[in-house]
Amino acid sequence: MGEALCVNALKPGSCCCCSERKGSQRSQSTQSVEVESVMELPDLRRVPHPMDSLQSQWFQTLQLQKSGRKRLRSNSDPSQEMDFVKRFQWQRQGLPFGTASSYLNLEKLCEGSYSTVYKGISRINGHLVALKVISLETEEGVPFTAIREASLLKSLKHANIVLLHDIIQTKDTLTLVFEYMHTDLAQYMAQHPGGLHGHNVMLFMFQLLRGLAYIHQHHILHRDLKPQNLLISCLGELKLADFGLARAKSIPSQTYSSEVVTLWYRPPDVLLGATDYSSDLDIWGAGCILVEMLQGQPVFPAVTGTLEQLEKIWAVLGVPTEDTWPGLSKLPNYKPERVVSSRPQRLRMICARLGRVPGAEDLALKMLKAFPRERVSAQDALVHNFFSALPSRLHQLCDAQSLFTVPGVRLQPEICDLFAPYQKGHRQASSSKFW
Amino acid sequence: MEPNQAASDQTGPGSAETRSHFKVTRFIMEAGVKLGLHSIPVATACTIYHSFFTATVAPGPYDPYLVAMAALYLAGKVEEQHLRTRDIINVSHRYLHPKSDPLELDSHFWELRDSIVQCELLMLRVLGFRVSFRHPHKYLLHYLLSLRRWMNRHSWERIPVSAAAWALLRDSYHGGLCVRYPPQHVAVAVLDLALHCYGVEVPVHAQAQKPWWQVFSEDLSKAQIDQIVLDLIQIYTLDAEIS
Repeated sequence: MGEALCVNALKPGSCCCCSERKGSQRSQSTQSVEVESVMELPDLRRVPHPMDSLQSQWFQTLQLQKSGRKRLRSNSDPSQEMDFVKRFQWQRQGLPFGTASSYLNLEKLCEGSYSTVYKGISRINGHLVALKVISLETEEGVPFTAIREASLLKSLKHANIVLLHDIIQTKDTLTLVFEYMHTDLAQYMAQHPGGLHGHNVMLFMFQLLRGLAYIHQHHILHRDLKPQNLLISCLGELKLADFGLARAKSIPSQTYSSEVVTLWYRPPDVLLGATDYSSDLDIWGAGCILVEMLQGQPVFPAVTGTLEQLEKIWAVLGVPTEDTWPGLSKLPNYKPERVVSSRPQRLRMICARLGRVPGAEDLALKMLKAFPRERVSAQDALVHNFFSALPSRLHQLCDAQSLFTVPGVRLQPEICDLFAPYQKGHRQASSSKFW
Repeated sequence: MEPNQAASDQTGPGSAETRSHFKVTRFIMEAGVKLGLHSIPVATACTIYHSFFTATVAPGPYDPYLVAMAALYLAGKVEEQHLRTRDIINVSHRYLHPKSDPLELDSHFWELRDSIVQCELLMLRVLGFRVSFRHPHKYLLHYLLSLRRWMNRHSWERIPVSAAAWALLRDSYHGGLCVRYPPQHVAVAVLDLALHCYGVEVPVHAQAQKPWWQVFSEDLSKAQIDQIVLDLIQIYTLDAEIS
C-alpha cells in the first residue's frame, strides 16, 4: 500500500477523491449482488429496490442470520471466500485499498467528538468494516487524535487490539477503516444488567489485560479506558479501541497533558494533577472495569467532578498519607484540609459479588492501589489466580491468536439470556451502536 | 522499500540534494528553537522531513521549506506540543527573509497556511501515517547513565562526554541517519564517537569478553558503528563547506 500511496502522491492531480463519485455510482448498481453473495441472503436476489430503502430491513436480517452462522461474519471461511473471489473477479480488479470506492457505507453507528462512525462493507473482500470518517478542517488540518490513532495502530497487531484495515483520504475527509465489531462492553453490560457471569468476566478481563500487556510492552498507553472503548465480537472477543488519546510513552521526564481519562476510570494520582503517570494509569481503569463487570454498576460514579471522584475513592481505599504514598503532598492539586477522613469501607461492601468469585477481590485490590507504583502490571495480573480456571494454554498464545482458538474457551450464556432469550435477540437487532 | 535505497545511493555525500537537506533541517532546528519546541518534537520534525524525501523520488516538485514547515506542524501534533500555523509562518518568514517586514494577514498569508495544511496531508499519505518514531534519545540517556556508573567518577565529571554525545545526536539530524539506522545503533555510535573525541576508554575494555556496545545492542558490529560515525563526520564536513 505504501508504494501505491507514493505513486499517487507523486501525481498531485490524481487524487483518489476524483474517482470517488464515479465509484459510489457504480456501487449502487453492484451493491445487492455482492452482499448477497457474501451473506447468502437468497431472498434478496431478485429484489431490484433502490438500496436506500432496503438498508435497515437488510441488516435486521443479517443480525438474525448471524446468531445461527457465526463463522460467516467472523470472515474465516476460506472456501466461501474463494468462491466469492471466483465469481466476482471483475469486481475485485481495480479495487485497491485506500480508495473510498472500495467500501460501501451502510448505516451510521455513532458520532464521536471528531468523527462519525459508519458501518460499512468492503468491496475488496466482503468483510464488514467500521468506517471512522473524520472531517478535515482547512484551518487545523488533520486532527492530532486521528494522526496518533492511525500511526499507533499501524504498529500494533494483536488479537485484542482493534485492527486498522485501511486509511482513505479524500479532499475533505479522512476515513479510518477498522474491522467491524458487534458491540461494546458498555452495551453488553446494559443488555445484561445486574452483573455479568463470573466466567465471562474472567474471559473479558483476561483479554483486556492481554491487550494492555501488549501495548504497554510497546511503550504505548491507552489513556482512555472505559467500557465504551472495549469492543466485543459475537464470540466474546474483546478488543481495545479508540486510541485517539493513546500515546507512545517516550522519555519519562516529559509531562503529559493532564486532561485525559474519563472521570470514573481516572486514577487518584491523575485526579490530584500528576502528569508523570505510566502504564499504571491504564491498570486503574481496568480495575474499575473489573468491578463494574461483576457488579453491573460503575464502582466510583461521581457526578459533580474531581473532588467527589476523589471522595468516592478515599471512601473505599482510605485517605492516603505521605507514609502510604510517598510524594503525595507534592502533587499539584493535593489539599489535605479538604479531605474528610473516614474509615475505609471494604471494596466488598460496595460490590457484593466481588466476594463470590474466587480471586476477584484480591485482583481488584491489587489493581486499585492509590499509590500508582504499587499497582500490579498487566503482565503480572494475567497470572493472578483469578484466572486459574482458564486453560494454561492461553498463556502461550501468539499475539495474533484469539483466546477462542483454544478448545473449550467460550462465553457462558448470561443469566438474563437464559430466562428471556428472545428478548436478547430483539434487543440486539434494535440497538444502534455497533461498530 | 527498494526505491528508498536506490534514492539514497543517488544522493551521495556532498551532492546538491544532501546540501539542500542540510540547510533545510538546520532551518527546522532553528525554527523549532524559536517556536519553543522540545528536542523530541524537533527530532520528529527532522525525521518526518527526511522520511518524506526518502520516500519520494528526487527531484520532486516540492518546496523543501514548505515540507519543513509542514513537518514542524505535524511533529507538534504527533508529540503533543501543538503549534499554531501562524506562528510557524511568522517564524519561517523571519528566518527566510530576515530583513523584510512581518507578513500582512492578507490572502497570501491564508494561502500559505492552507498550503501547510495540504502539505501535511500529502506527507501523511506518503509516509502511510507512520509518523510515530522511536528516537535514539531515550537509548542514549540509558547508555549514558549506565556508563557513568561504570566509569571513574572524577574523570566523568571532568570530561564532557555526555554533552558531546547529545550535541552529536542533535547534529545527526542534519543528515538522514535517523531514517537509515535503528535508534539504538545511532545512540551507540554517537556515544562511541564522543568517547573517541576525548580519548576516553571504557574501563577494562581490553579485557572484556565482548565490546561495551554489545551489552546495549546485541545485533551491532564494529563495522556498523564505523559506518554511522562516517556518516556523522560527513555532516560536519558538509557544515564546514557550507558555512
